[in-house]
Amino acid sequence: MTGDRHDGDRHDVVIVGGGFAGAAVAKTLADTGGKRILVLEAGRGTGMSAGKYASHVEAFQASLVNTPNTPYPNNPNAPQADVLDIRQILGQPAPGQPPRSVTDTSGYLVQTGPLPFQSDYTRALGGTSLHWLGTCLRMLPNDFELHRRYGQGVDWPFGYDELRPYYERAETDIIGVAASVTGQHYPGIDDQEYFGRYQYPMHEIPASYLDRVLARKLDGRNITVGGQDYPVRMSSTPAGRNSVPRNGYAPVGAPGNPQLGERCEGNTNCIPICPVQAKYSSLKTWYELMRRHPGDQPPTPARSSVTIVPQAVATKVELDEHGRVSGITYQTYDDEAVAPAPDPRTARGTIYVLAANAIENATLLLASGVANSSGMVGRHLMDHPLILTWGLMPEPVWGFRGPLSTSGLEMFRDGPFREHTSAFRIEVGNEGWNFSAGAPTSTVRAMVGRGRYGPELRRALGEVIPRQFRLGLEMEQIPEASNYVTIDRAYRDQLGGYRPVIRYDLPDYVRSGFAMAKEASDAMYALLGVPPLDPDQDRDAFPYPGDYTSYQPTDPGYVTYGEAGYTFQGAGHLAGTHRMGSSPRTSVTDPRQRTWDHDNLYLVGCGNMPTVGTSNPSLTMTALAVWAGENIAADLGGQS
Amino acid sequence: MGTISVHGGDPAAAAQPGEPPEAVDGFARLSVILTGFEQYELLGTGMLMPYYDELMRIIGAREAGALLGAFSGVADGDDEAFRRVILDSPRFGPVARNVTMMWYLGTWTQLPRAWRNTFGATAYDTDHVVSAAAYREGLVWPAAGTHPMSAKQPGFGSWARPPAGAGS
Repeated sequence: MTGDRHDGDRHDVVIVGGGFAGAAVAKTLADTGGKRILVLEAGRGTGMSAGKYASHVEAFQASLVNTPNTPYPNNPNAPQADVLDIRQILGQPAPGQPPRSVTDTSGYLVQTGPLPFQSDYTRALGGTSLHWLGTCLRMLPNDFELHRRYGQGVDWPFGYDELRPYYERAETDIIGVAASVTGQHYPGIDDQEYFGRYQYPMHEIPASYLDRVLARKLDGRNITVGGQDYPVRMSSTPAGRNSVPRNGYAPVGAPGNPQLGERCEGNTNCIPICPVQAKYSSLKTWYELMRRHPGDQPPTPARSSVTIVPQAVATKVELDEHGRVSGITYQTYDDEAVAPAPDPRTARGTIYVLAANAIENATLLLASGVANSSGMVGRHLMDHPLILTWGLMPEPVWGFRGPLSTSGLEMFRDGPFREHTSAFRIEVGNEGWNFSAGAPTSTVRAMVGRGRYGPELRRALGEVIPRQFRLGLEMEQIPEASNYVTIDRAYRDQLGGYRPVIRYDLPDYVRSGFAMAKEASDAMYALLGVPPLDPDQDRDAFPYPGDYTSYQPTDPGYVTYGEAGYTFQGAGHLAGTHRMGSSPRTSVTDPRQRTWDHDNLYLVGCGNMPTVGTSNPSLTMTALAVWAGENIAADLGGQS
Repeated sequence: MGTISVHGGDPAAAAQPGEPPEAVDGFARLSVILTGFEQYELLGTGMLMPYYDELMRIIGAREAGALLGAFSGVADGDDEAFRRVILDSPRFGPVARNVTMMWYLGTWTQLPRAWRNTFGATAYDTDHVVSAAAYREGLVWPAAGTHPMSAKQPGFGSWARPPAGAGS
């Protein structure tokens, strides 16, 4: 596949990146018929083979660590950010000091601090959709107007009502979302206005037993946070995981093995890999396109021709003398361990789409010197910085079962406090202390280390592990020009491409969100009958119930706010680096997601998002990409 | 306990040259005491021989033989003797705890520095997952009333209720 040359062909559209956004653009375009589409994917296409996909599952099972990229080996010719590379960064460079003195270069991301950027991504066909959680929350209407309503960040160039039809298409045509309109509860949201007369294609994923215990203890109660009362209500989380279909919808199973994964089977492993592919990944869309729009056949009015080229690393966006994009230069390779002999090729099309993710899109644009008359490319890097709290319940809640999360507490997603403090959502985890404290391995080690063995060990594990639960408190990060991705000729990868150089910090707006969220967590723990743990208590004796949350100054993500310290982590929601806007001076793309500077270059992905709200962004990214695909089809139609 | 042949149905394992079946029987008996799982449950994982082999590979026949030899002198049910002879022994205790964790997690943990310096380190004594199958057969999952993350999935909607057999 990689030996094929595609530089002699002319395509209608060339897409860089085989992940979420690229797949949504490609499908939207291909389904209009008659299009020649070329997709360049930097990583391998391993997951497209059902048997080889299983090798990713085994690689996970045979690994000592459990991180989002564990099943997907690093590829030096298309390196990826990895959470195992994250170090504490001691300080910003002092004036006059060379930045290298404090810069952490140990991973692929070059981190200049003062805080480490802690999110990762996957470079392989399917991209980060291979290891996403599956959460499909829409943004709230006020999220699109953060500046107008709360004086923070910027406003989107359009509102929720304009994006809503594309949310529906993303939910039904691309991802396949399981949810109910009535099971979701958001502050200030009227179901009728928010959803209209809409039904998701599949019924909601059943709430976990833990969710039901929390609902029984929390629903209808009030907690006081920051002097304000908030009613607590568990909310069912929409998910890109297969469930019982509505209205004749056919759940899409595993690529090449469609009977597998027609329902979520409860592998409790959405991140890093769903073994049965009941969770959506863009592999499903690519598989559908390969069957319905085969690349080895010419297009017809009803059918397009989609060619996917893995192991093809885009290195430069080329411009002609009129400032239009004339091609994408790329380099292929046979062996990820070995840098190939330079053999640059150029993919040519009428319209070009960068869909390589917020960090890779930015580095490619900067390396090419394109689309940056605003100076905004790479700036406004955002994530959903999150802190975890975890405890032991008085009764078993039977975690480590079901998809990793099925419900959330959404009452802090909007409110007047957004004038000074980050909104946040609370994700309820179904995986015990796996994410928060490395259980069950850590639990077994602690118990065996204290001399437990035999029936007593078995009984103690059976008593403690089913009581483990955690909450994830995920902040809305506001866009700041001082949080950015840039490039530096000193930092290159094996192919000679620029490594992303990142400057990252969290403002008080987010840190005060940590404080508010922790206060909310404490108040709910009190209602759950989970008291603070005595600091002198021997934690490895696992007394319960108790709040075991612990933030250590040695943690890479340790930050302080006031007297308190918190350990934050990345959510994998990289966004904002080539944002949309209504002015070419302050944004990189126009509201149609076309670059202001080049009328045949589109950007897609979370990089387009001016702000991120508090919803996991994959659904919004997909909705935007469907819209971009429609705009591209309109541009092509106008030219033919 | 001890009446089930560990080699039943597994002639390949029995055919291993130079491997006295008593040693494997002793390892099985030791594993029952360390894990609190019955021998039939351990056999059902298919991991008895792989773990025996892994132990032999990592600490060598001399140390493994000494451990099983010391254990053979401990009478069934004599917890005090088991603690004194095995768990509290600087030579056998760390290995016994590692065997316990291997059964529960499918992973081997590097032995403590003092043990390695006294009784000999091998190149195989590193933190590692014995195999993907070992991970899937970890005893921690059934002990916790669940399935290994990524395997043995219990089916759509099963997570809405306590697991089958849960007391509460």
